[in-house]
Amino acid sequence: MSTLASGEFWAFVGVVAGIYTIFALGLQLEFGFTGLLNFGHVAFMAIGAYTMAILVVKTGLSMWIAAPVAILTSAAIGILLGLSTVRLRSDYFAIVTIAFSEIIRYVATNEDRLTGGTQGTINLAGAGEASQYNGEWERFQSWVQGVLHIGSKDVAMLVVVWAVALACTGGLYAAIRTPWGRVLKSIREDEDAARSLGKNVFAYKLQSLAFGSALAGTAGLFYAWQFSFFSPGDFAPLLTFFAWMIVILGGLGRAWSVPVGALVFGVIFAGTRFFDFAPFSWFDSADRAYLRLIVIGLVIVGLVFFRPQGILGKRDEMVLE
Amino acid sequence: MFLQLLVNGLVTGSVFAIAAVGVSLIYGILRLVNFAYGDVMAYGACMAFLFNVTLGLQMVLSTALAMVATAVLSVTLELVLWRPLRARGAGFMSLFLASIGLALILRQMLLLVAGPQSRAYDVNPYKVYVIGSVRLSGSQAIAIAVAVVAIVLVGVLLSSTSLGRTMRAVADDRALAAVAGVDTGRVIVLTWIVSGLLAGLAGVLAALVQSTFDPNFGFALLLPVFAAVVLGGIGSPYGALLGGFVLGVVTELSTWGGFFGGVNSVYKPVVAFAILIGVLLVRPQGLLGRARVV
Amino acid sequence: MSAILEVRDVVRSFGGVRAVDGASLDVAEGSITSLIGPNGAGKSTLFNVVSGFLRPDAGRVVFEGRRIERKPTYRIAQAGLVRTFQTARALTRLTVLDNLLLAAPRQPGEQLLRNVISRGAVMRRELESRERAKELLALVRLEGHADDLAGTLSGGQRKLLDVARALMAGPRLVLLDEPMAGVNPTLRVQLLQHIVALRDDLGLTVLLVEHDLDVVMRASDRVVVMSNGVVIAEGTPAEVRADPKVVDAYLGTGA
Repeated sequence: MSTLASGEFWAFVGVVAGIYTIFALGLQLEFGFTGLLNFGHVAFMAIGAYTMAILVVKTGLSMWIAAPVAILTSAAIGILLGLSTVRLRSDYFAIVTIAFSEIIRYVATNEDRLTGGTQGTINLAGAGEASQYNGEWERFQSWVQGVLHIGSKDVAMLVVVWAVALACTGGLYAAIRTPWGRVLKSIREDEDAARSLGKNVFAYKLQSLAFGSALAGTAGLFYAWQFSFFSPGDFAPLLTFFAWMIVILGGLGRAWSVPVGALVFGVIFAGTRFFDFAPFSWFDSADRAYLRLIVIGLVIVGLVFFRPQGILGKRDEMVLE
Repeated sequence: MFLQLLVNGLVTGSVFAIAAVGVSLIYGILRLVNFAYGDVMAYGACMAFLFNVTLGLQMVLSTALAMVATAVLSVTLELVLWRPLRARGAGFMSLFLASIGLALILRQMLLLVAGPQSRAYDVNPYKVYVIGSVRLSGSQAIAIAVAVVAIVLVGVLLSSTSLGRTMRAVADDRALAAVAGVDTGRVIVLTWIVSGLLAGLAGVLAALVQSTFDPNFGFALLLPVFAAVVLGGIGSPYGALLGGFVLGVVTELSTWGGFFGGVNSVYKPVVAFAILIGVLLVRPQGLLGRARVV
Repeated sequence: MSAILEVRDVVRSFGGVRAVDGASLDVAEGSITSLIGPNGAGKSTLFNVVSGFLRPDAGRVVFEGRRIERKPTYRIAQAGLVRTFQTARALTRLTVLDNLLLAAPRQPGEQLLRNVISRGAVMRRELESRERAKELLALVRLEGHADDLAGTLSGGQRKLLDVARALMAGPRLVLLDEPMAGVNPTLRVQLLQHIVALRDDLGLTVLLVEHDLDVVMRASDRVVVMSNGVVIAEGTPAEVRADPKVVDAYLGTGA
């Protein structure tokens, strides 16, 4: 159990939780506040990450420009997707969005020349050349370390990611309390009632998708910077499901429940790694991985049973669903 | 070539169709989008392996036993998970989340017990039927034949038996059916049995047609199956059947050279999704679904 | 008085059944008009067509001189034609107050950016709307529930909320779909009085579908009777009550 106390490890867990916070905030906006059943959320994380990496490696653009462009691209594609799909009934919308995320993953896998294919971003500069997009980021990270007198890269990353995550959470919190946010919530509750009161539901849904996708794209950027390498397999639907779990775990319809949900989720996920007591000790490490996921699945089902409103949700609101 | 692709499409389509009906029946009666369905199919395939290879039983018998095992699993889950959740007033979100958790548990248990390696059934891989310009492997021929029988049986069940009528009544309006004296609990269990049998069958057929399979293959199947249900129109089991076949046939045919040089066969799932999106844009309720009324 | 709403030869079918089969009617500006008829006469379908929730297969709808039958619902609402629903559509997880604030027209804060650049205007409008909302809530006796979630209201209370919300939107024509159903009798009288007052003070035009013939007869300026998808009679309450076609429709073969 020596790694249990390792600061580096928990800093890493914290970073991942921070990335997931940003990612899941987008979903909270789309579903928790607007009622859009987006199951393709991970596609926009991929779009953000790939756009930045491709721009940096293939066109030599500075990361500081590529990053905002990547976020805008995610938002734009979110709007494009929404234009054709947002009028669909919610269960259809759900399926179409999964389909979309799988299409993105397929394109990323097969368009080698554009995305590096299955080998991922190492391949972006073409065969035989290992490419890196992370140069500028690493310099920035060192600068942060210097300014804050932190010894470890992971802790520096932790600070940056959480600064952004908390800023986004605060921003979402403020936005939802405006009349704009009120319209979104009314769409979640009853679109037809919102329409009958003069709200252009279509346009608001598109805005929700745009911001939600931008958040996912931002999460993609941090994912890319943290791991300095990624491939299409990293953006599987499983990540969207994790985001769903975080949003529901934390509590639907509350901005601040997302960081809480992400942290709890991260701790559970990482913490089960250290279960080396019985019955875990009976299995070898490969099997232990499966067992951990079974435990996580049981935790999720248990939560649904005993605390369906999530950690910060309100039971009376849940009942009205 | 075209005919060969058409036949291949019918084979894939059969698997989709059977699975899609199973999904549709449960959705119709419980409004539950069962994300665990793919892994239940994988469970069926693995059970058939257990009977066929480990225990040495003949393939047809193994399939039947696997279907029974899957039905038992489905009913158990209903009694242990779904029914108690419904009793607690679980809404759509909770049920959906529970099905994700369940999918995770099922798949990891299969991996734990069986391991991630690919396996194949004990069938003759070299048997080929040649009809005109079309070659059918033994597995493919079985898949089509079985699918046709299964579909006919399901169709008869739904339209002509009192159980079928009751299932449709409960799907239409559960509260009303209960008031009318229908034992909704019993109907729900029976629906899970039918859905479980179909899941098991679809899983085995999919594994047969693929030649080799591993416990992870359930999810890859789940998406086209859901797409088939939506394509056919949510709430219509016949739509699910149609959607399954359309999806299977069109995706295979899309690789035909005569169609603008053919789509790269790696992109077949993309074609499936593109079809789905295309149809929904023109007909938002799906092929056989009912239009929305305010 | 000119007709604020003209409906001409509207047809709407559902799978072979003509719910509305060539209906025509006028609603005079500043009047309270009741739309009555047996069940299945097509009244709700006509409401849906007029308010933009359904497209007619044929015919036209003219509101304040402009054709609206192909316009989306939200545009029609923005133009001043607002409706309520037969089963009240309370926005359950919003507070009662928020339900009303949502309806306030011309709130610049509904555009996200304006919350940043025109904060003052947004706050001012919000305060105005709160005042107005509290007035309307007092009228329907829901002021004590202002901060409760709308989902906690009873069915009758939700209908009142629906009506208050529609009035909050400041419409020139409001379509009330069975506003009295589920509301207790004393409240009915008050609600009616307020609607009449709005008509008198602000020139609000009201078109209501109502089964309570007492309300209809006492409050309406004009009554339109539908049966089997067409308008079979219209006139003052007295005229309509005496019309043999109307008696037939209600007591005869029925829908």
